[in-house]
Amino acid sequence: MADRVERLTNLLALLLETIEPLSLVAVAGRLHGQYPDGQTAMRAAFERDKAALREIGVPIEQTIVSGGAEAGQTRYWIDRERYELTDLELDPDEMRALQVAMAATRPGSASGQEAMWKIGAGLLEHGAAIAAIIPDDPWLPTLRESVANRVQVRFGYRGVDRLVDPWGLLLRTGFWYLIGFDHEREERRTYRIDRIEGAVEQVVGSTFERPEGFDASTAFPDDPKLIGADPNVPDARVLIDAHRAGAAIRELGANRVATTNPDGSVEVLVPYANMQAFRSWLLGYGEWAEVLEPASARKAVMSWLERVAAQ
Amino acid sequence: MSTERPKVQRSGPRPAEARLRRLLVMLPWLMERAEVPVAEVAERFALTEAEVVKDLELASMCGLPPFVDELIDVYIDEGVIYIGVPRLFVRPLRLNAVEAFELLAAGRAAMQLPGADADGPLGRGLLKLARVLGEDDTGVLRVDLARPGYTDAVAEAVESGSEVRIEYWSASRDETTTRVIIPRQLFSDHGEWYVRADDDRSGELRTFRVDRIESMEPTNRIVPPSDVPLPPPGEWFADGSIRRVTIRLAPAARWVAERYPMDEVSVPDEQGFVTVRLAVASERWLERTLLRLGRDAEVLDAPELAAAVGAYATRVLARYR
Repeated sequence: MADRVERLTNLLALLLETIEPLSLVAVAGRLHGQYPDGQTAMRAAFERDKAALREIGVPIEQTIVSGGAEAGQTRYWIDRERYELTDLELDPDEMRALQVAMAATRPGSASGQEAMWKIGAGLLEHGAAIAAIIPDDPWLPTLRESVANRVQVRFGYRGVDRLVDPWGLLLRTGFWYLIGFDHEREERRTYRIDRIEGAVEQVVGSTFERPEGFDASTAFPDDPKLIGADPNVPDARVLIDAHRAGAAIRELGANRVATTNPDGSVEVLVPYANMQAFRSWLLGYGEWAEVLEPASARKAVMSWLERVAAQ
Repeated sequence: MSTERPKVQRSGPRPAEARLRRLLVMLPWLMERAEVPVAEVAERFALTEAEVVKDLELASMCGLPPFVDELIDVYIDEGVIYIGVPRLFVRPLRLNAVEAFELLAAGRAAMQLPGADADGPLGRGLLKLARVLGEDDTGVLRVDLARPGYTDAVAEAVESGSEVRIEYWSASRDETTTRVIIPRQLFSDHGEWYVRADDDRSGELRTFRVDRIESMEPTNRIVPPSDVPLPPPGEWFADGSIRRVTIRLAPAARWVAERYPMDEVSVPDEQGFVTVRLAVASERWLERTLLRLGRDAEVLDAPELAAAVGAYATRVLARYR
């Protein structure tokens, strides 16, 4: 019997070339001597080959004969339009730039290397001098495809099954977020993708409209302290010692500085509608920061510290 | 800069799927060239020369009746591959969902690196790619690598090999030091920017957080790139000699396991608690982090550390009294 790669290549060629869909028996007939003769063994070998081609990404179409003597028979073919990569018309410098981008952000990615070969670029280099590490998640490709093709998705999040119109994806502060319309909650929501529970399923045949001008990067606040921010809650005033004042100004921006004291310390204005995020940020400055007002924030931080001290 | 390439190393025979997959990217490339040395193909597609020859000879035997042996017109002689009339497999297979994501995410991330130019080749290539992959605009897949103040200056120093003098706040020792460094690699990881640099104080390659650089000025010395290969970004907490601690985290504290490198993270229990093991790269950092977590974190195997956190809380509390 032929080498399996040879049989797979022939099967692929046959399904690409055929003018009409082919049944299993027709396939085995055309690839004479390459499939076993017995019906069960033939079916098993063909199923294995079909799975292998699909695994590689070959879109195998199938149809079931509806009438006549062969009613119920499955027939297969490959639509060349769907099989072939659309010509990207990349100029050599653009291809090279994409290759450098991949080396700088996805070094060692096997799928990234496959993608490079498909677009006509070469082997990825390692060890870019200016690089970014992009976190991985198994559901990102499915979500991106759903975002691009405007297909609804279902997944579990915080113990609730969601039906979501996926508007866009955003990598920020080291995490991937999905922004979309949640049909269970009937409002726009943001989800941390690594916190999705179980599988992401595309809702076959569904579609949705994305709001005009939607941009994932402006869809939710930069600063975790602002999440759930309430314009009615005034900012907290925090004293940062001279030792860490420069760092705080770099982090928050000069427009957050209310007062600069003669000793070099600064008083900064920080949103504290999200008390937990505020406290965590404040304690990141250790003994070099102190919340001055409002009194309620001061009291909350003190009681937190008392509990930790008594632990 | 190192340009080390992945080595061709495998054990056992290559699976049929992998061989076919490689063949399907190799053939369109060969057909555009008509005549290529075997060695060049092997290098480009991370195969041995014997593997290239084996797979191409096999491809030349493929065919459908009545055109047996004519599917792929390939001929190898004296280490050179000749491709005849292109027939099938002229175009590569379409990108699958994973490859499409990899390309777009990599491109969008690279657009956020210092020095990227939206009107340059990367920006233009990405636009062509996005159109083919169904994205009608660029707002639906965004990468945001917010760059602290000195990031671009560090990038320039990396590219030019410039030595710089920095004032740097060390979180592990809670002090600001002045040091002379030669930046070698700049990278973003978990939402922070880091620079790997030859450090005059320690005489070693050290990693610094860019947002903790308080000032920076060039010394006007240019140092050519060193031959020492750079480790892949991200592998910088692997030192086995550092002490480890085990901590149990409540759901509200689990962000720590996602934010910082951990040796081990357990599966969440029914209440959503996880147990993690991590390297104590700095006691000061760990104490401060545990202070932030409060009762949401419980140190399981270092009672002296738990006591130190309590003492730290008392110290901070003193400010309020």
